[in-house]
Amino acid sequence: MERVPRVNGPLIVQSDKTLLLEVDHEQADDCRRAIAPFAELERAPEHIHTYRVTPLGLWNARAAGHDAEQVVDALVQYSRYPVPHALLVDIAETMDRYGRLTLSKHPAHGLVLTSTDRPVLEEVLRSKRIAPLVGARIDPDTVAVHPSERGQIKQVLLKLGWPAEDLAGYVDGEAHPIELREDGWALRPYQKQAVENFWHGGSGVVVLPCGAGKTLVGAGSMAEAKSTTLILVTNTVSARQWKHELVKRTTLTEDEIGEYSGTRKEIRPVTIATYQVLTTKRKGVYPHLELFDSRDWGLIVYDEVHLLPAPVFKFTADLQARRRLGLTATLVREDGRESDVFSLIGPKRFDAPWKEIEAQGYIAPADCVEVRVNLTDAERLAYATAETEEKYRFCATTDTKRKVTEALVRRFAGQQILVIGQYIDQLDELGEHLGAPVIKGETTNAQREKLFGAFREGEISVLVVSKVANFSIDLPEATVAIQVSGTFGSRQEEAQRLGRVLRPKADGHQAHFYSVVARDTIDQDFAAHRQRFLAEQGYAYRIMDADELLAES
Amino acid sequence: MTPEERSRKESPGTGSGAAAPRSLAESLRARDDVSLSALLRARPDLITPVPTDLTQLATRAATRASVVRALERLDRFALQTAEALAVAGDPATYEELLGLMAGDDGPQADPLVAEALPRALTTLRDQALVWGADDRLRLVRTARELLAPSPQHPSPTGLGPTVAEAAGGMSPGRIQEILTAAGLPATHDAVSAMTSLSELFGDRARMAALLEKAPAESLEVLSRLVWGPPYGQVTPNPAPRLRWLLDRGLLLPSPRLSAGLEQGRPPAPGTVVLPREAALHLRSGRAHHHTEPLPPVVEAAATHSAHMVDATAAGQAYTALATVEELLKDWDEGGPSVLRAGGLSVRDLKRTAVALDVSEPVAAFWVELCYAAGLLASDGEADERYAATPAYDEWTELPPAGRWTRLATAWLTATRTAGLVGGRDAKDRALSALGPGLDRSAAPEVRHRVLTLLAGLPEGASAARESVLARLRWERPLRGDRPAADDLRSRLAQWTLSEAELLGVTGRGALSGHGRALLGERPDHTPPAEPTGPGDKLPVHRQHHRPAPYEPLTAAEQTAAAARAARLLAPLLPEPLDHVLLQADLTAVAPGPLERPLADMLNVLADVESKGGATVYRFTPASVRRALDAGRTASDLHAFLAAHARTPVPQPLAYLIDDVARRHGHLRVGAASAYLRCDDDALLSEILADRRSAGLRLRRLAPTVLAAQSDPAVLLEGLRTMGFAPAAESAEGDVLITRAHAHRTPPRTPPEPVPDGPPTPDTTLLTAALRAVRAGDLASTAPRKPTGAPATGGDLPRTTSAETLATMQAAVLTGESLWIGYVNAEGSASQRVIAPIRVEGGFVTAYDHTADEVRTYPLHRVTGVAELADDQL
Repeated sequence: MERVPRVNGPLIVQSDKTLLLEVDHEQADDCRRAIAPFAELERAPEHIHTYRVTPLGLWNARAAGHDAEQVVDALVQYSRYPVPHALLVDIAETMDRYGRLTLSKHPAHGLVLTSTDRPVLEEVLRSKRIAPLVGARIDPDTVAVHPSERGQIKQVLLKLGWPAEDLAGYVDGEAHPIELREDGWALRPYQKQAVENFWHGGSGVVVLPCGAGKTLVGAGSMAEAKSTTLILVTNTVSARQWKHELVKRTTLTEDEIGEYSGTRKEIRPVTIATYQVLTTKRKGVYPHLELFDSRDWGLIVYDEVHLLPAPVFKFTADLQARRRLGLTATLVREDGRESDVFSLIGPKRFDAPWKEIEAQGYIAPADCVEVRVNLTDAERLAYATAETEEKYRFCATTDTKRKVTEALVRRFAGQQILVIGQYIDQLDELGEHLGAPVIKGETTNAQREKLFGAFREGEISVLVVSKVANFSIDLPEATVAIQVSGTFGSRQEEAQRLGRVLRPKADGHQAHFYSVVARDTIDQDFAAHRQRFLAEQGYAYRIMDADELLAES
Repeated sequence: MTPEERSRKESPGTGSGAAAPRSLAESLRARDDVSLSALLRARPDLITPVPTDLTQLATRAATRASVVRALERLDRFALQTAEALAVAGDPATYEELLGLMAGDDGPQADPLVAEALPRALTTLRDQALVWGADDRLRLVRTARELLAPSPQHPSPTGLGPTVAEAAGGMSPGRIQEILTAAGLPATHDAVSAMTSLSELFGDRARMAALLEKAPAESLEVLSRLVWGPPYGQVTPNPAPRLRWLLDRGLLLPSPRLSAGLEQGRPPAPGTVVLPREAALHLRSGRAHHHTEPLPPVVEAAATHSAHMVDATAAGQAYTALATVEELLKDWDEGGPSVLRAGGLSVRDLKRTAVALDVSEPVAAFWVELCYAAGLLASDGEADERYAATPAYDEWTELPPAGRWTRLATAWLTATRTAGLVGGRDAKDRALSALGPGLDRSAAPEVRHRVLTLLAGLPEGASAARESVLARLRWERPLRGDRPAADDLRSRLAQWTLSEAELLGVTGRGALSGHGRALLGERPDHTPPAEPTGPGDKLPVHRQHHRPAPYEPLTAAEQTAAAARAARLLAPLLPEPLDHVLLQADLTAVAPGPLERPLADMLNVLADVESKGGATVYRFTPASVRRALDAGRTASDLHAFLAAHARTPVPQPLAYLIDDVARRHGHLRVGAASAYLRCDDDALLSEILADRRSAGLRLRRLAPTVLAAQSDPAVLLEGLRTMGFAPAAESAEGDVLITRAHAHRTPPRTPPEPVPDGPPTPDTTLLTAALRAVRAGDLASTAPRKPTGAPATGGDLPRTTSAETLATMQAAVLTGESLWIGYVNAEGSASQRVIAPIRVEGGFVTAYDHTADEVRTYPLHRVTGVAELADDQL
């Protein structure tokens, strides 16, 4: 039956294929649920959320079992204004492209590419980039594919606009008993949902905000797979935290979990490796690649997929027969390789917007403030004469920032405060003035863990960290983060840093995130860029003048 | 009286028993006015110029050009009927024709054909292509020549020449041999031999007997030729199966063609042809393999609710308005230049397409639409550019629904065809948008027809594209074998379907309520009554509504239709809003169209990020600065946002405005190149004293003159922001007038549609013309009524001037034609037959049949008038 569009729906369909959802509308929730499978949430400020319909999103939806009719139906049902017919046709056509080609196992010929639409097969086979990846033509609708090219061909087909559905299945891998040990805690409903979606989809990416418990989604998936698992993480600290968490939450023991990093090279049923060690190149070869083949892994977990270095994509292309789970806070990649994530790791299997999880009380609400400081006249002169590449350093490390930081630390005395920065000398100076320890690149891992432990216990209330602590450190009691400088305009760094204070607080009070920025300089432009992602996620920044702040305290 | 009955009146069987007409002219003469009007309406070329009498009308109706035109306008079945008549005897009987159309088995075998045939015949008669009663049907000779098979023009029937035609050049001896072989007695001469052979071939029973003896291979040869083309090649020593056929005249040597007609190629020596009579026998009398008595039904592809269709169409209509405005706003400050050959360059079209975010063909459509609606034209200046016309400014003042109907009406009637843009003309020149060569006279008719077909479907149903094309092809079959999808009408129809969707005339492929209204409501042409005569013995299946010939709406009808469409559309268009939603990520969302002043202001204050049902604006430092540059102050902006935001103004946005305002104008640029003078030195002191003027770095040179370090524009701007009203001066000391912002052409009229052939005459003209023709006809053929004055021979009629005047005035009222005597300025007398139109001021304005035009005669030079004899009227 055809649905008559509602006169006053919550959704507005734009000609550039963005969808505007009015959040205060009574049907907003229903509508959000209806469009979430195929539209990527792009911005979620307070009144109108923006979703974008992209081919990748539509294919994600197809992969998740939604068909074009459902998509069209959702748009038509909730749209306030009539939906342009051309757009509906375009959506149906785009969705129709997914699954025309399938990769599957043939009993006699191994991996084959089959098509339900012969001209499409002819078209892609004529492509120069496909030709070296395929073997003999088995029948008009089927062509053999070299098993080693399973990832490659998926990547190329996606680029050609004919994404293939991978039905070739997975190897089970070496079995290993893993169970969750839910004593006194349980997977949160959305984590359960994420694990379930991933497991049914085979491979794919789970998008959850920082602090929403991605590690547990990993653990849950491992408990489903019950096989040997390779976990790829960003750095050693993060590797330790994974290990710690797995020992605590699952039936795995310390001995069953190996660490494969610069310092240790253990290969155990569950092995945690860092991206860095994998991408180390000696004499033109990657010496640690054999890790992938050292065991018959049943599951590979990629932590922080949005940071996945390019070489790892290349290795991943060869691992298409193994189940892959990607975990990330955002699919936004500064290098724009979202399509490689889609074709090599898998489609998005689950996501939940930050604000929604915050509303459920699983992450702390945060108050984001940008504090603008004025450069002194002497600094302005120096800034004006500085070389272009030095300019950011100059304005980011202005002396006034120190004063503001000190004032903030004074204001939140007694709370757990993190001061995060980019430049070591600035951090050292701050550490000195605040009387706080500094964690930087040269700090040994033992020292780091000791300091983190002390901070966690509340023995230290202020910690100054460089960007080494950007990722995967778990500081449950940090309630205030002060950012004094960053890696230029990196949006995901900002999100990660905000994530530091978003873990739910024991007493439930508000988290504070301060970004100290030098006015009228390049620092301000970078800050605007960094904040854009969070502002779009609904974290509204207040902007304050430093004078105002100093006067208050 | 229906046309059906009228045409039957001619038939002696059913009619009054008047003598059968001997010529087309006579048959026309026997027609009544309604029927003649119908003819002239269908073939307007016949009265341009108005013929003097019916004989001339008949002659003109039989000219090649006119007949070709008329044939091209026949529907497929009527054309098939005409083709069948062309291969039938001359004259043919209705039964013979029915046999050719429905086959030997008669009407029972093909009831649809039998039912449709009288109607087709009526069409042909109405169009004066066929005349004569049912027992003596005659196809106009020119039509016969055009349609009858000849080696140069194989007929669509696939039939060859008759035995007599094919055997014309054969030696008598050879003919006698054929007779013998066919088992006929020898005759004395070739003519009787031919007759005898024709009779044999025409006689089904004897022919069947003859063919029974034929070897199977020979029959196989015949079956290959039977549905045409009927020509084949034989070697000098034909195989026995061919020999058998050749011996009996079932294959005859093809008549020698004149070399010129074969385009320089000599006819192949061994060409043989299957004579028409034989082929007809093998086809059981059918002239056509497939007859198509019924128009293909336009099928519904999908059915949506009428509400959904209207809403979708209205949404698209709104987009159309927005697009046109965006396009012309873009060109406000100097549009693209006009190519030397006229039109828009490919690069400019591309740029426009990018700006509008549409494909190039769609961009071409919008540009052409604006042009057709008269909103856009070239400015005609030395450096010729395209720009909006003054009509555009009027257009923007209209309510949205009115704006839309202006566009839609222009589209419906325009002969300019945007679909051709990007293609090449016959001389391989690229066709550019707005350029020459885009007029296609069939366009308005096809558009109207396609929409009418859509209107024929149930409400909310979209038509299957193929079925629409098939229907159009049936209504106007193509001569020749061009690929079906490629002909102009099909392409026009496809463009119509997609353009109608773009414009919002249709929604989801179905005609919307306002689109339907736009077509205008014509009193339905009453469908022909049930056929009587030969067809009436059959069960009547369905009365197919014959499409009324396309007549463009008159201006008044169009206005009424547009108003009706606007009334229907208006409630469907979204109401303009007076508010936006502001968000902390520095965006503003207008959840619908905005009121114009609000939209204008926001366009300055923020950048448009996404368009559609809603508009998303983004505030950036640059956009806020732009607003400040436009003379707004920070507090203006705060007040504006507070007034129009449904939500509190987010702190980052307020901060942004203050921050930009803080820096705005902080730096001043200047060279010591401007001065400020004023007769009132107190005012200058005031300016100098004003702290805000410090930034202008004014120095007093004399009591009434200040020198400024800044250039004049900034100085002006600065003074204005201070609240003064300075004026700029030129080097000569004249006050400079700032030019109006928007660029406009001089007044322009939209392009006139270029119709194909003369326009369909309206009723007044038709009646006048008809009256004139009849009168002329009477003047030339009918005996004159004896009048008071003996009007014999060459005598001029003589009446008193009072009588002349009275008769003239009476003639104006009754519309009669008069016979007058007239003496011209040189004193020479003549007789004329005139149809007075107006008598006033001592002059009579009349249609003069003798001169074939409307003339004005001074009454004092009219010697007298006489009525024409009207016994026959």
